[in-house]
Formats: sequence, C-alpha cells, structure tokens
Amino acid sequence: MLHIKNLNASYGPIQVLKNCSLHVDEGEIVSIIGANGAGKTTLLLSVSGLMGSLSGEITFCGKSIKGLSPDKIVSLGIAHCPEGRQLFSPLSVYENLMLGAYARKKVDQKTLDQELEQIFELFPRLKERLDQTAGTLSGGEQQMLAIGRALMASPRLLLLDEPSLGLAPRLVETIIKTIVDLNSKGMTILLVEQNARKALEISHRAYILETGRIILQGKASDLAEDSEIKRAYLGKDYKDLSER
Amino acid sequence: MELDRVEYLSTEAWNQWHTELLQSTVNRAYNRVPFYRKRLDEIGVGPDDIGSVEDIKKLPFTSREDMAENYPYGLFSVPLRDIVRINTLRSGQANPIALGYTKQDLKRRRELTGRFFRSAGVNQDDIVQICLDPGMSLHGQDLKEGAEFLGALVIPPDPVSVLSRIRVMVDFKTTVLVTTPSYGLYMLETFKETNMPLASLNLRLMILLGETLTDETRAIFERELDVKTRAAYGLFEASGPAMAYECKNKKGLHIALDHVIAEIINPETLEVLGPGQEGELVITTVTVRANPLLRFRTGDITSLHKKTCSCGRTTWRMSPVSRRSDNIVTVRGVKISPDHVRNIIRQSTGGKNLSFIIVLGKWKHLTQVEIPVAIDDSFFSGSLPKLHNWIRETEDLFLESLGLRCRIKPVELRSIKGFLESGQVIVDRDRFLSGV
Repeated sequence: MLHIKNLNASYGPIQVLKNCSLHVDEGEIVSIIGANGAGKTTLLLSVSGLMGSLSGEITFCGKSIKGLSPDKIVSLGIAHCPEGRQLFSPLSVYENLMLGAYARKKVDQKTLDQELEQIFELFPRLKERLDQTAGTLSGGEQQMLAIGRALMASPRLLLLDEPSLGLAPRLVETIIKTIVDLNSKGMTILLVEQNARKALEISHRAYILETGRIILQGKASDLAEDSEIKRAYLGKDYKDLSER
Repeated sequence: MELDRVEYLSTEAWNQWHTELLQSTVNRAYNRVPFYRKRLDEIGVGPDDIGSVEDIKKLPFTSREDMAENYPYGLFSVPLRDIVRINTLRSGQANPIALGYTKQDLKRRRELTGRFFRSAGVNQDDIVQICLDPGMSLHGQDLKEGAEFLGALVIPPDPVSVLSRIRVMVDFKTTVLVTTPSYGLYMLETFKETNMPLASLNLRLMILLGETLTDETRAIFERELDVKTRAAYGLFEASGPAMAYECKNKKGLHIALDHVIAEIINPETLEVLGPGQEGELVITTVTVRANPLLRFRTGDITSLHKKTCSCGRTTWRMSPVSRRSDNIVTVRGVKISPDHVRNIIRQSTGGKNLSFIIVLGKWKHLTQVEIPVAIDDSFFSGSLPKLHNWIRETEDLFLESLGLRCRIKPVELRSIKGFLESGQVIVDRDRFLSGV
C-alpha cells in the first residue's frame, strides 16, 4: 500500500532521515521504533507532505505522492494524527471532528453523520462532550478527539504519532485497544510510539530507526524478543554494549 | 506475513524487501563490525550508496579466509552477551571459523528449516531419521531442530554403524531419511546385503543434501526404494542446511530469498553474471543478527534462474552445484582442501612440510580419502613402530579435525612426484593406481 524508497529528509543543513526504505501492506499495523530524535516524526511528516526538503520515492497504492500538497495526500486516503494532538482548542469537539472531513469535497451530511456515529461508538466520551471546547478536554479525551478527527477524513492509511504520549496507563490501554479495533475493521496503520513494548505487542511488523537510518526490521513479535531492542528501549547501558 | 507466503511475493515486492533488508544489513555491518567498516571505507562505499538491491555489487566480498582471520569475534555485530550459541568450523587456515547466533538467529533458522521440511511434504506424523557424518554435525543439529519445530519425531545423527542405523530405520519405521547421496547409496547397498525384504522399510521420502544429487542417483533411490526424493543445498556459514531446496517439480532449488540475496559471479574477473549463466554462488545474509555476511563467496559453481516456478513460488532457483571454483573437494558433505591436509600433517609432524596428494576412491558408493605422504629421511628415523604410531595418530587427528576418516599412506617422494609436478593435488584413485 505505502512504499518508501531511499527517503532523505533534512531540516536546513541537518539531515534527519538517511536513505530510509520501508513499506506498509494493506491491513497491517507497522510500527516505527526509535529513540528521541531518531527521525520517527519526520518520517510521518514526509508521508503526509509536511516536509519541504525531501528526496527519494514515496508511493501510495502505486501512485507517487512525493511533492503533493498535504490536502491532496489527505484526499488520496492518508490521514495524519500528529504528536501532541494539535487540536483547535477554542473550537468544540464537533467542530474539530468536522474539520477532519474538510478535504472531502463530494460528501453529503448524511454520510458524515453516519461516520460520526461510528466514531462515537469507538469513543462514547466524545459524544458526551460534543459541544465542549477541545481545550477543556482531558489528555485522553483530546487524544480520542485527535484520532476521531483523523478518521473523519475517511482514510485508508492512518498515521499515528505518539498516541499514548502523556496519558495515564489506563488511558494508554484504551487508546491501544482502539488502534487494534480500528485495524481489525480493516484500517491500515503506520504507528510511531514511544511505548515500544506496547507498539510491538499490537503491530504486525516494525522498523527500528537509529539516528535517521533503519537498522533493523522484522516481525514485531521477533523484535520484541530481541535483546538489543529490549536494552535500547529499557534504556539500560545500551550505548556501551552495542555501539562499540 | 505468514512464513510460507513470503515465497510467493511479486518481483516488485521482492525488490522492496531486498532493498530494505540490504540497507539495514549494511547499516548494521558498517556501524557495528569494524572489519566491514574498514573494507567499505577502503573502497569508498558507505550505507548511502545502497539505493536498490542492484547496488549490492558495490559491496566487498567476504571469504572463508576473512572469517578465519577475524576469529574469534571480529565479525560479530552484536555484543557477546546477546549470543547464545557459538559453533566453530575448520577453515584450512591457522584459525577456525567462529559462527555466533542470537536467540532470534536460532529461531529464524529453526523456522526456515521447518519450512523446508514442510515444503518437502514432511508433517508431524513423520518419523525423520538423520544419517550424516560427524563432519556434517552443524547441519545435523539444524535439521534436528527444524524437524522438531514441525512436530515430527526425530532420530538425530548418532555416530553408530550403518547396520545399527538400518536397524533403527526398520524398527522405528522411519518415513523420512535425511542423508547425503553417497551415504544413502551405501545404506541401500548394505540394506540389500542384509537380505531383509523391502517391505520391512516404511520409507516414503529421502531428503538428500551435502553433495550434488545426480539424476542417476535419484533414479536409483526412487526405483529401488520406491520413495520420493528432494534435494537441498545448505551452507554452514549462512542460513544452515535449508538455504535452498527443491519443490515437488524438482526444477532447481528454491533459494530462501527472505533470508539471503544470491548472486553469481565469474570467479576470475569477479564480474556479476546474469540469470542462467554458470559461475560462483555469492550469498549475502539479510536477516542474520550476530554474524552478518556481505557477499560471501561460497566456492560452489552453479547458475540462477529467476522465472517463477510452476509451483507458484517466485523465489529464484539455483541449479545443482556442478563443481567448485577452488581446490576444495566435498566428501559426504565435508569440505577438504589441500590447505586443511597440509595443516594437519604439519601439526602431526611437529611442523614439517611433507609432500602429499589427496586420493579419492569409492568403496561401496562411499568416497574414501587416502593421503599418500612422502616420507623423507628428515622425518623417518628408521623405526617402523614409530612410523606406525605416527600414522595412527595422524589418522585420529584427521577424524578429529575433519570429522571424516582418512587413510594415511607413507610413500616415497618419487611415487607422487609426477602428480605434484603437474599440479594435481587431488587425484582419482584409478588414476593414482595407473600412475598418470
């Protein structure tokens, strides 16, 4: 579904992604695991057309999307749920959700209402707080809203950036469960997650990003058992042992 | 993706997979193996130069000599604490070759060997007997674990006589026999001599590896034992015994492309050859964690075929190995080179460089190795008992270090001089006897 080959991305003189190649097949959850600053977020931004300086190939369903505008990419079926939610705080929950459908031109209100109902099934809390402004929601509710807003774009591929960041453990479980539910209903997901253990638990495959390069990939269940990855993401004397 | 499904990927999907796997392998090798970093820096190639699987040709080769020189852990890309098994392999050099595996490496190898058995039609109801020489013990270990992974009953290789092995085969109703073609023929001959009826065997499948399975040998097994046959190709250094294996169509050996990238090169010019052209097989491992190998020169001469097989698998196929590109000879799966022999003789004589040749003869279908060694005055003290002792010790040393019994024959230099002068170190027994 999504194929990336030799992606290089930089912020001014600083190259963040170096020759990265990866793919996501339809129906998969694929995780990108890496330390802070490894380039995970940049990778998602590159896919959704939010990185200016890029080289390499990005194709979605056989069509090159590199260099397309973000709204064009959304209309092709890729929705990005950014790190830190990035909601419109003064707007209501309803308005935030409807903004997610902004790029969809030929869609009637009835379809939108049906889709809203589906999102409320996933997150009943959002329905209860429909008229409340987004800024007054709790962290967990804001994350639900951010995912709901991305889903209103009716995507085929959902990019999730750190969905569990800053949430209480119970809420992390809820969000993780939602991701699995979405996937079981057919949604393809590319996930960036600081909680590597949780991400590997629910993913089919994963890529390990280290200072802008992919150094390892494979079945998530295999990677979860890998000593080096265990050490790296438990943060224990990793540098001494593996970067000889 | 399910393990077996991967063998049916489209060409585009293979391209993507291989590009990803090659890039991450080079990233790891460059960052974590000083040997590879040095080699790559020397030729001015870095991880950024690998943009597609075709760029593999920019990478340097790895030889068995490189592996021996970097003994014990110079080629490991993970810290020793992540390694859960180490195997050593004789190399013909002063150092052996060390192979390390992480827990994941072993798991992948088990899964791959299991997939190979499954594709050969082996299932959990089978009784799999493995009969291999001690020199093939690394493959024996992987085969045992692969068959166990599948849930089959396994009879691993024991160092017992051929008659004991036949008895086990009859008593336990072995359904699948895994062995080398020549040992298989030896077992068949011996079985016939026991005068037991064919009906006392329950064999339905023979898996043959370690040596090239010729059409004639295959026909003998299929006709005389009424079994199906499948050939396999493995490398101790990479991926184990199931690196390539036949499907039911038996039109070449399907390479496990999800674990290795294969190339064929001209062994003289090192130029990469196209599909169908015969040359030396070169293997790059792309899933190995502990001991990644970039462009490992196998020394085996074969050719690659990239067309989809009629079984549906899209993995490339290799022809049976036709010969070696070096002077290594394979005897019942055990590789012997003049360097090996020279080192062992030097060891047993306290450092003397005695001249020798390697004579290969057949006895009951089994290749036997005889080594005529030129004994000169500097070594022979005149005491025959001492000489006999030396012969016995040297033969033991051969068995110990090669895992294969070799006969040592003291000769005068003039009886092997002709062969040595014409550069023939490995000689057929008939030619040796006729002295040409």
